[in-house]
Amino acid sequence: MNMPIAWLTLRQLLGAKRTLLLVAAALLPITLAIVFRLTDPDVEPARFIAQTLLGRLVVGTMLPLAALVVGTAALGSEIEDGTAVYLLSKPLPRRVILLPKLAVCAGLTLAMMLVVTVVAGAIAAGGEEDGAAVILGFAVAVAAGSVVYSALFVLLSVYTTRAFISGLLYVFLWEQVVTRIFTGTRILSVRQYTIAVADGVAHVSSSVFDGNLDTWKAVVMMVVVTIAATYFAIRRLERFEIGETA
Amino acid sequence: MPAPPPPTAVPAGPAAAIEVAKVSKWYGNVVAVNDISFTLGAGITGLLGPNGAGKSTMLHMLSGFLRPSAGSVRVLGQSAWKNPAIYAQVGLVPEREAVYPFLTGWEFVRLSARLQGLPDADAAARRAIAEVDLASAQDRPTGGYSKGMKQRVKIAAAIVHDPRILVLDEPFNGADPRQRLHMMAMLRRMAAEGRTIVFSSHILEEVERLAEDVLVIVSGRLAASGDFREIRRLMIDRPHTFNVRSSDNRRLAAVLVGVPAVTGVDLEDTRLSVRSSDFGALTRALAPLAREAGVSLFEVLPADESLESVFSYLVKR
Repeated sequence: MNMPIAWLTLRQLLGAKRTLLLVAAALLPITLAIVFRLTDPDVEPARFIAQTLLGRLVVGTMLPLAALVVGTAALGSEIEDGTAVYLLSKPLPRRVILLPKLAVCAGLTLAMMLVVTVVAGAIAAGGEEDGAAVILGFAVAVAAGSVVYSALFVLLSVYTTRAFISGLLYVFLWEQVVTRIFTGTRILSVRQYTIAVADGVAHVSSSVFDGNLDTWKAVVMMVVVTIAATYFAIRRLERFEIGETA
Repeated sequence: MPAPPPPTAVPAGPAAAIEVAKVSKWYGNVVAVNDISFTLGAGITGLLGPNGAGKSTMLHMLSGFLRPSAGSVRVLGQSAWKNPAIYAQVGLVPEREAVYPFLTGWEFVRLSARLQGLPDADAAARRAIAEVDLASAQDRPTGGYSKGMKQRVKIAAAIVHDPRILVLDEPFNGADPRQRLHMMAMLRRMAAEGRTIVFSSHILEEVERLAEDVLVIVSGRLAASGDFREIRRLMIDRPHTFNVRSSDNRRLAAVLVGVPAVTGVDLEDTRLSVRSSDFGALTRALAPLAREAGVSLFEVLPADESLESVFSYLVKR
C-alpha cells in the first residue's frame, strides 16, 4: 500500500468538519442504549439491539452515512477542488492511488462504527447471552459493510460531482423505501447484505432477528460489489480528464 | 540546513520532447482545438491566445489530462494519454490555485518527492523549495499562503524530480514583481540545462520577456508558431512601422517616399515614422539611401514588433 497517499487521505479526512460531525453523531446510539437500560422496558434486550439499535439505527442509517461522508470526501473532494491533479500527475498506476484511499475510507468507517456497535450494544445488552451473540454478529457485519459501502461511494465520487446526493438517494430511497416495497430488489442492497451477515454470524432465534437474504448469497454479493466498484473506480481514474474551463 | 545539491543533468532523449500531430478536441458540437500540429524541443515556449481560444485544452492534452478527439500527443516519444509513466519526466503546474490546505509547504513538496519515488525525498524537497525561494515559509500550512506563495509551492512540487519537461498553466498569477523575476530566472536556467518548458500566460509582457518561441492559438487553431519577431516579419500583408531618428528627418522622408518598399511616411516634429510592406528591402535600402542623401541615422526602431502587436494582429485577422 502506498503509505504517503494513505497518510494524506487520513489527514484529509480527520481534518474535515463532516468527519467531526460523524463522531458527534456516533454518540446517538450510545445515548439510546443508556436510555434503554435506564427505562427498563419490556422488550427483550437482544431483540432491541438487533432490530432497533444496531439493525435500524447503526446498520440502516449510521453506517451508510459514515461511509458516504468519508467515501465521497476521500477522492471526490480532491477532484472537485483540483488537488487530485497533484496525485494523478505522478508516475503511479491508478490502482496505487485508489486502493490506499479506499483502505483508509473503509478503515475509518469501520473503526467508528465498530466502536459504536460494541459500546452501544454492550450497554443495551447488560451481559445478556443472546445480546453478546447479536453484538458479535453485527460487529462482523459492520466490518464487512464498511468495506462494501466505501467501495461503492468512492466509485460514485469518481463518476459524478453529485456523489453525496446520489449516495443519499441510494441509502434513503433505494435501501429504505424501494427494497421494502419491492422485495426482489433486496439483492441490490448493501444494507440487506450487512443484516444477512449479522444474522449468519449471530446464530440467534429468528424471533430475536432474521435477515431477509441468505448469508452466503449476501457474502458473495458483497465480494462481487466490492471488486466491481473498485475495478470501475480504477478504470475511471485511468481515463480521468480535467474539467474543461478554457 | 545543508545547501541543496545542484540539479542533476538532464538525460538525453529524442530531439522533439513534445510532438503534437493533427490534434483536435471537441465537446459535442463545440470544437475547442482544431487540427493543431507542432513540435517542441529544449527551451521556453509561451502559449498565447485570448480567453477561450483553447490554450488550457492544449496544455491539458500535453500533460495527459485530456484525450484528444483526433490526432496524437507524444511526450518524449510516448503517448501522453493514459500513460502515468510520463510523469517521471514531466512536471505539471496547474492553473487552479488549490493546494492541500492542511499540509505545510514542506510536507506538500516532500509528498510530491515521495510519490515520485525519489531515493532522497528530503534532499529533493529542500532543493526544490530553495529554488522557488520559499524556505522561510515552508513550515506554515499552505492554507495560509498568499496566491504568489501557492504558485511557488506548486512549482516546487512540479520540479522536485528534475523533470525534462515542465508544463505551467498561468504560472505567474498572483506573484509579485520580485517573485516573477526570480521564477523567470529559474525557468531560463532550467531551459539552459536542456529542459523543455511550455507555459501559458495572458500577460504578453511575461511571454515576451521569457519565451524564446510562441504558439499563438486563436479560436482553437494555431495562428502562428516560432519566434514572434520572425512571425511579425513574415506578416507581409500588414505594413511594418519603423521610428527613425536622423540628422535631417525631412530630407530623409523625401528620399524614402520614392522607395517602392515604402508604403507611407509620417513626419511629426522630431519623429519620422516609416511604413513598409517589405521588412528586408527597407532595412537593406535605408542606410545606403541615407548616406547618399547626406543624412546621418541615429536610431531605427521597429515600432510594432512587440509581441502585443503580433498578437493583436493575429487575433484580429
